[in-house]
Amino acid sequence: MRLHFEIEGGDFTAAGRASSEVKKTLKQFHIAPEVLRKVAIALYEAEMNVVSHAWSGTMDAEILPDAIHVVMEDKGPGIENIERAMEEGFSTATEEVRQMGFGAGMGLPNIRKNSDRMVLTSTPGVGTRLEITVLFKA
Amino acid sequence: MEKGGDYTHSIQIDRGKCIGCSHCMRVCSTQAIRIVEGYAVIQPERCVDCGECYRVCPQKAIYARDDGLAFMRDDAYKIALVPSVFIGQFPSDYSATEVLEAVKSCGFDEVCEVERAVDFMKEAYGTYADNHIARPVISSYCPAVVRLIQVLYPSLTPHIMLLKAPHDIAALYLRLSKEKQQDDPRKIFIYYVTPCAAKTVAARAPVGEAASPIDGTINMKEVYNKTVATLLGRKERGGRKHVADMSPDSVCWSLSGNEKHYFPGRSLAIDGMENVIEFLEKLESGHLSDIDFLELRACDQGCAGGILCPGNRFLTVERLEHRQKRLQMLKDQQGGEVDNRLMRYRQQLQPLSRVDPVHPRDGLLLDEDMEKALIKLQRIRRLMTYFPGFDCGACGAPSCRSLAEDIVQGKASISHCVFVQRVMEKNYKLSPDQAFVVIEKIWGRDRLNKYNDTNENEP
Repeated sequence: MRLHFEIEGGDFTAAGRASSEVKKTLKQFHIAPEVLRKVAIALYEAEMNVVSHAWSGTMDAEILPDAIHVVMEDKGPGIENIERAMEEGFSTATEEVRQMGFGAGMGLPNIRKNSDRMVLTSTPGVGTRLEITVLFKA
Repeated sequence: MEKGGDYTHSIQIDRGKCIGCSHCMRVCSTQAIRIVEGYAVIQPERCVDCGECYRVCPQKAIYARDDGLAFMRDDAYKIALVPSVFIGQFPSDYSATEVLEAVKSCGFDEVCEVERAVDFMKEAYGTYADNHIARPVISSYCPAVVRLIQVLYPSLTPHIMLLKAPHDIAALYLRLSKEKQQDDPRKIFIYYVTPCAAKTVAARAPVGEAASPIDGTINMKEVYNKTVATLLGRKERGGRKHVADMSPDSVCWSLSGNEKHYFPGRSLAIDGMENVIEFLEKLESGHLSDIDFLELRACDQGCAGGILCPGNRFLTVERLEHRQKRLQMLKDQQGGEVDNRLMRYRQQLQPLSRVDPVHPRDGLLLDEDMEKALIKLQRIRRLMTYFPGFDCGACGAPSCRSLAEDIVQGKASISHCVFVQRVMEKNYKLSPDQAFVVIEKIWGRDRLNKYNDTNENEP
């Protein structure tokens, strides 16, 4: 089963809508509370990344019997150095974004912590693609 | 109305009064209500006993089932546990002592104010914060909120504080202190005078403990009526106590915004079902950090807004605040000390105050089996494209989504949607007579007989 969402860059008021919808859907399945929480956090962080950094993006979530597989694709500045971006505390967020309480440099590390598989690819100047898989059973 | 007996929900529908008007169905936060054959029907796995339906019922057909005064045992030593909000139902010229004495005359051997246990709670919160790292901790005080989390926010159940509520602590204290005295051979029965349905359920079917230390609950309205009669009928004014035997702000613990001050760190207080839901949605998505404690109350103004409180909630709040000031004055006169007898039992109460972890309820679950659940969800999504999407409620379900869910669970059929019905009739898939039967199955027999064509010709 697939769910598709469009995400607008810079619209912080709407941020979290897509991840919230996915979370609501998953609540109807027999999934452990801890797993639900992992998915909710990973997807929220991923959505926030698109809103904070990119111009626009999409979230495609596929719910399988044993896992959820999510692909986030965005059009935006991309990531110059993925290894550095994965470091805790590293952030390129503007002062404006930080003042709103975002951009602490925990987004990507948090996604990694809350997912079972994470693949991040990016072309600077074009955009970023993030694949996340969370297994329903540990 | 039934009294006593076994039940796991307090909120019930009186079929003698229900006209199936669907007001309740529309306000239910967990979509637990459907209209079937002309009556509102509550789905037990979803109901959290918050009582929002009770508030809106124009027929007064929804009631909160309790054990009642009639259920009291003659052979027992009967203690009434009375929450401070009850005292706040009366103008301040009635002293707490007078009100409690009047309650006692309803047939109790002893009366104790619940908020006596608050001093214990304050200490326990400090220790709890030190021993539990997960944040935020969600208060377990409001049983409707605990149940709401179990049904709608399964992933937040590990955040619920594993401590008993003050009325349970007060009941445990009473048992401990009576055991010590042993001057009365009768068995102790503790009755809680409840401001809401959720607390009745918490005593009946507790979460996180095998049995509640409360033996029975009595609707506050019932006790209020008797108490008013006693107060009006007495010949002379009763006394007023001149000691502070609990910390002054204890009396405001059940209101919104007091409890939160006693959990170390950053905390916030939220009251009202809608506000609580909005916040829990945010919390579940992990949007929040830095918050250590959440005081959540299903009712606006906390327990002063309880569905069984007869008085105005804002007046109650003001009276309790007034009483707090008076107690503060007494405390100051006592050199800043309060002698709360319950605190002498703090060592014994501590190990008894814990509860087991709270687990989610499966009220939202489509199917235990993941593959089957996925197929059902696909079907729900397809059905949603057939329905108008404006949640008219004519199908007897609160939203198009709820109808779709009911259909995949085999509880309703697609022809329940009046819009789909029109199309089916047009395409000769459903006869007008069959459509009639469908509507009668939802809204009850003779619902459609009120109008006939000749009415139009009358002046």
